[in-house]
Amino acid sequence: MKNRVSELRTAAGLSQGELGKALGVSRQTINSIENGRYLPSLPLALAIARNFESSVEDIFIPEGD
Amino acid sequence: MGYAQTTGHRGATTAVLVVGGGGLAVATWLGGEHGLALGLVVFYALAGAAAYLWSGRDSDVGAILRAGGDERQRRLDRAATAHAGLAMGAAAILGGIVSAARHHGDIGQYGVICVVGGVAYVVSLAILRRRS
Repeated sequence: MKNRVSELRTAAGLSQGELGKALGVSRQTINSIENGRYLPSLPLALAIARNFESSVEDIFIPEGD
Repeated sequence: MGYAQTTGHRGATTAVLVVGGGGLAVATWLGGEHGLALGLVVFYALAGAAAYLWSGRDSDVGAILRAGGDERQRRLDRAATAHAGLAMGAAAILGGIVSAARHHGDIGQYGVICVVGGVAYVVSLAILRRRS
């Protein structure tokens, strides 16, 4: 699963720590999500999408697509 | 359970080490091994202090030591606990086999550990199945 979290975060001018704080998760978890090592739960994925005023499917993209 | 970070308590792991280690040291002292008991006090006091210092760090391990963290850190903790449980189970079974071979079929204390582990697994599975 690819994702655009890093791209959207950078465009918003946020650090990993700042995004983590906004979402209520750790900086390490944001880093793991961005690097594709950790797939967030549905509630967290929804919170990420809401934070960037986007949709989950616009941010998280299956490898085949 | 939500995804968000819970702060936990910085002294959580330290408390477990101090209470557990203190109990072990008292039992060892009562057993007559005073030198070993004092060694255990020093060891667990140092381990508790190290855990307290590490708990203050902004890291995955720090969050887990605080018994807090976000969904990923709690998942890491659960996975590590499961792996530790598997290792302990395997050691108990192996120890039971060796004990049975050496003591005319008596698996000794390993049997208690195997029973506790087996029952805990079955009960946990029954409860967790209902919740999922």
